[in-house]
Amino acid sequence: MTSQRGVRRKVAGVVAVALAASLGLSGCGGDEAGAGDGTFTVGHSEPDHLVPANTTSSYSFDVITELFDNLMTLTEDGKAVPLAAESVASEDQKVWTIKVRPGQKFHNGEPVTAQSFADAWNSAAYGPNAMGANSYFSYIKGYAEMNPEDEDAKPKADTLSGVEVTGPDTLKVTLNDPFSQFPLLLTYPAYAPMPKAGLKDLKAFDAHPIGNGPYMMDGDWERNKQIKLVAFPGYTGPRKPKNKGVTWKSYSSADTAYTDLRAGRIDVLQTIPAAKVPEAKRLLGDRFLARKMSTTDYLGFPLFDKRFDNPDLRKAISMVIDRQGINKAVYNGDYFPADSLIPSIIPGHRDNACGELCTYDPAKAKQLFDKAGGFKGTMELYFSNAQPTYAQWMRIVANSLRDNLGITDIQFRQVPASDYFSMLREHEEKGPYRQNWEADYPSPQNYLENMWGLDNRMGWENKQFNDLIAKANKAADQQQAIALYNQAEDIAVQEMPMIPLWTWAGQGGRSDKVDNVTITPFSTGLVATDVTVK
Amino acid sequence: MWRYVLRRLLQAVPVFIGTTLLIYVMVFALPGDPIQALAGDKPVPDNVLQTLRDRYNLNDPLLVQYAKYMWGLAQGDLGENYTGQSVSEMLSGRWSVTAQLAVTAWIFELAIGIALGTWAGLRRGRLADTLVLGGTTLVIAVPVFVLGYTAQLLFGLHWRIFPTAGTDEGWPMSYLLPGIVLGSLGLSYVARLTRTSLSENLRADYVRTANAKGLSRARVVGRHALRNSLIPVVTYLGVDFGNLMGGAVVTEGIFNLPGIGQQVFQSIQLKEGPVVVGAVTVLVLIFLLVNLVVDLLYGVLDPRIRYE
Amino acid sequence: MTIKEPDAGPPGAEPEPGPGPGDATGAAGTSAAAVAAAGGEIGRASLWHDAWRDLRRRWVFWGSAAILAVVAVMAALPRLFTAKDVNQGCDPNAAKLGPSGDHWFGTDLAGCDYYAHVVHGARPTLLIGVAVTLFALAIALVFGLLAGYYGGLLDALIARLTDVFFGLPFVLGATVILVAFPSHGVWAMTLVLVLLGWTTMIRIMRGQVIAVRDADYVQAARLLGASDGRIMARHILPNAIAPVIVVATLNVGNVIVGEATLDFLGVGLQYPEVSWGLQLNQAKDSFIDHPHLLVFPAVFLSATVLSFLMLGDAARDALDPKLR
Repeated sequence: MTSQRGVRRKVAGVVAVALAASLGLSGCGGDEAGAGDGTFTVGHSEPDHLVPANTTSSYSFDVITELFDNLMTLTEDGKAVPLAAESVASEDQKVWTIKVRPGQKFHNGEPVTAQSFADAWNSAAYGPNAMGANSYFSYIKGYAEMNPEDEDAKPKADTLSGVEVTGPDTLKVTLNDPFSQFPLLLTYPAYAPMPKAGLKDLKAFDAHPIGNGPYMMDGDWERNKQIKLVAFPGYTGPRKPKNKGVTWKSYSSADTAYTDLRAGRIDVLQTIPAAKVPEAKRLLGDRFLARKMSTTDYLGFPLFDKRFDNPDLRKAISMVIDRQGINKAVYNGDYFPADSLIPSIIPGHRDNACGELCTYDPAKAKQLFDKAGGFKGTMELYFSNAQPTYAQWMRIVANSLRDNLGITDIQFRQVPASDYFSMLREHEEKGPYRQNWEADYPSPQNYLENMWGLDNRMGWENKQFNDLIAKANKAADQQQAIALYNQAEDIAVQEMPMIPLWTWAGQGGRSDKVDNVTITPFSTGLVATDVTVK
Repeated sequence: MWRYVLRRLLQAVPVFIGTTLLIYVMVFALPGDPIQALAGDKPVPDNVLQTLRDRYNLNDPLLVQYAKYMWGLAQGDLGENYTGQSVSEMLSGRWSVTAQLAVTAWIFELAIGIALGTWAGLRRGRLADTLVLGGTTLVIAVPVFVLGYTAQLLFGLHWRIFPTAGTDEGWPMSYLLPGIVLGSLGLSYVARLTRTSLSENLRADYVRTANAKGLSRARVVGRHALRNSLIPVVTYLGVDFGNLMGGAVVTEGIFNLPGIGQQVFQSIQLKEGPVVVGAVTVLVLIFLLVNLVVDLLYGVLDPRIRYE
Repeated sequence: MTIKEPDAGPPGAEPEPGPGPGDATGAAGTSAAAVAAAGGEIGRASLWHDAWRDLRRRWVFWGSAAILAVVAVMAALPRLFTAKDVNQGCDPNAAKLGPSGDHWFGTDLAGCDYYAHVVHGARPTLLIGVAVTLFALAIALVFGLLAGYYGGLLDALIARLTDVFFGLPFVLGATVILVAFPSHGVWAMTLVLVLLGWTTMIRIMRGQVIAVRDADYVQAARLLGASDGRIMARHILPNAIAPVIVVATLNVGNVIVGEATLDFLGVGLQYPEVSWGLQLNQAKDSFIDHPHLLVFPAVFLSATVLSFLMLGDAARDALDPKLR
């Protein structure tokens, strides 16, 4: 039960609050980027919260991952390695023993102990706290008691029974089921530790988070304007900053942020608006930063609607989607047409795992379509209004359904982003719907179990698939686990309850005042500590 | 005079309540779930949903919600959005952008509009008249977004006379081009109204009398005919100021100005009711006040009008 | 971008405060009153007759009528202009091509023939413009007549209600409704535009009725014992309607622009409908590199709106004997 940050990111991008642009820009003339003090400035959208467990927005992660050291972190190729932990180990993948590296301090001087993690997680998982990332703790034993089904009932417990502090620096975590990907889950920002002072007053903590990471707050969060971070002198971990600090500036519009990058008012921008990409490539040259991403678009079927029962119909629809053509027409050819359910940067991705089923072949599609007995009634296509490009490529899909399969009665259902996911949750959709998934952590499990696993959105049920996932979750060896995930993937491809479409491309840029800018495709995002300032 | 002002203020009260109630009902009674909207594509546990709904009074009946809102408003509190940010704070920086844009557009349509209208009105039926009529009709016919993009392309990118977008260069430079685009529609109406009204008044008896008295042409036109002709123009300019403030969504979007229109448009899509209602409420207040001022201006322009 | 007619006057310009500023109606109002008054004296047959004789001599009238006729045929029988259906034979690999022999207007973002789409875009655009105006006209005629004739509480109620809707920013109001009901077609759009646009004509109608309700010929009819219904239908309506008809013609153009604006903002019509506003919406991100996407729908849209405006202007001039 984790989130799909891709869409979340977009939603946040639109909301992204912000007189920022006017206040931040006209009001702060002297606040030029890289003013020779060894700090640099990054543009993004306004975060929603800075309490680590109260957000799933990637704009919050931008800041949180620099303020906090989680137990585990990710390498550039997506492997989990210890950060604040000394070790994370398990015999049976169900009970985990975690040793916290001693001698770490929070920015206020408080020592970082096993208790700091237990307290933070209990607060995050407690239903009445209404934390944004509450559901990320559902793997841990005792979560159900803290989040009763009946919405008016009072929870039976206010701490996770599965989290035990067995020593000043040791934690014993018991999960509901064996879960070999737990070390990866620990990299997720919501699993950050919190000092005692923070838990007492969450509102104050939101405005001025106190972490254990390489940077600390320089003043409070200036809402809709900026968040200033400076290097934390007491930091003992491996992420020692190579600069003096970083300022995250809020923008309400990606266009404005891009204009400011060109004008040198900010040093790094992670996302350049799609329409400006051709121009940015020309103007920025080697300062244009292209990267792969984990965000992948899918088209799901409501299998509770009997009309979509036949896998051949679903395959036929997959095979009339001209992924290459859409990429060219809508995304300047920069995206990556999907050839697998799992994007290429995730360990466990196999080239062409989807094969001919993800290849445009109208003739073959028509055969399958006829074999399935065609389609009756109105074909309703669902997508949200978060991005104008959704309607653009849906139109190409619809045209192809009409021309190649002969489905003439097609209607668009463009639903407000705000209502889209509650609609899907209530199973109110009557046709294929668009959704995307951005990895919370780089594991095929994060994709497969969340989208195809138990209680999935499509209403697809396959015992063999579920058994394989459970078996993989138990596997002690990652290679073995991945082989099992791949077997599960093959079943999901053959049944095709959800069609993979394409993986997004990340397009950012930097000014000439900074260098060594690395942006990872994971929740760690920009590696701020590595950036050097001229 | 004061009795009249008081009466007009009292008349504005039901209109104000009606409009805010209307927008409140539209925003909060229509389908959609703001709390789910907040979470984006993420399953929210039911107990979390419930806690948040209680926090923002979303479980109260609509009229109770509205009453609570108006009570807060009376104390100068526009409420907060669903991430706990104060609405007045969210909007504060944006008003100045929208106001600068609206005032630029307004001055443009007032000055150039009346000038063009007078020019055409004095030369009714001649080339100047035809030019002004044709030109303004064309401007009315072209949608503002086509006009905006064309202007941006030509004056911003091609000839580089104005900045293409953003507020970097401050007032007036950053606001000139968007102001002209936004004001062009109003300008056309102002010019046409002035022209019609002036040419009508030029045939009126009092103008004939003034001419007969031997007054100079400039004095007849400036002091008598034009002044009387401006009454409908002032009416229009009053109404239009409200439109400029509330109708700048498209222009703000094209020129990347972080104003009220953009904020409200985004908030509508996200079901951020408090922001939408807050901003529209202030827009309606401005609209009503400007109209009151316009009514009072009639007395200045036309001495025959006396307020009781 | 706004469909509010300037001639409507502000909410404050109601004739209630007696001889106060309320009497200062707009230019169109005064001249329109003159039309009506003149109509009463001259007799309506000859007013309309004169107007027609006048119109016939104007090239502007014939020019706009011709353009509108072409657009109307395009809306009714698109097959006369193109053999292609909407969204037929599109190839995303041939998207955003410039004009050529194969594709006179080039191709759009989905690789469809742009000419065919521009032709098919006429129908919803024109339909909404005309339908909204007709509905708003009907509301204006009925309620404007009743309010102006009877006055009192009914009049005050209608006037306040008009003020309430008039104060609502059009684009924002429409967006609120349209976003809440995402599956809207042409008729739902029509309904929303009527809901937010009915105030314009009712104000003028009401003003007209007030101007003629105490005229001698109405008094005479009343003395002769005519019923209220008969007086309204036979004497007041025919003498008050001319300026409203003029404004209605202009209003068609304004509604079309308003509809296109909503389409442009992405909250209006959607697939499988085609409209010029939608095409402009799709053009906005790529018009710098592909200007043809912007130019063709913009020219058709503007020409249509322009024709309605010029037709309305011509009608106004023809019906206004004072300016003749």
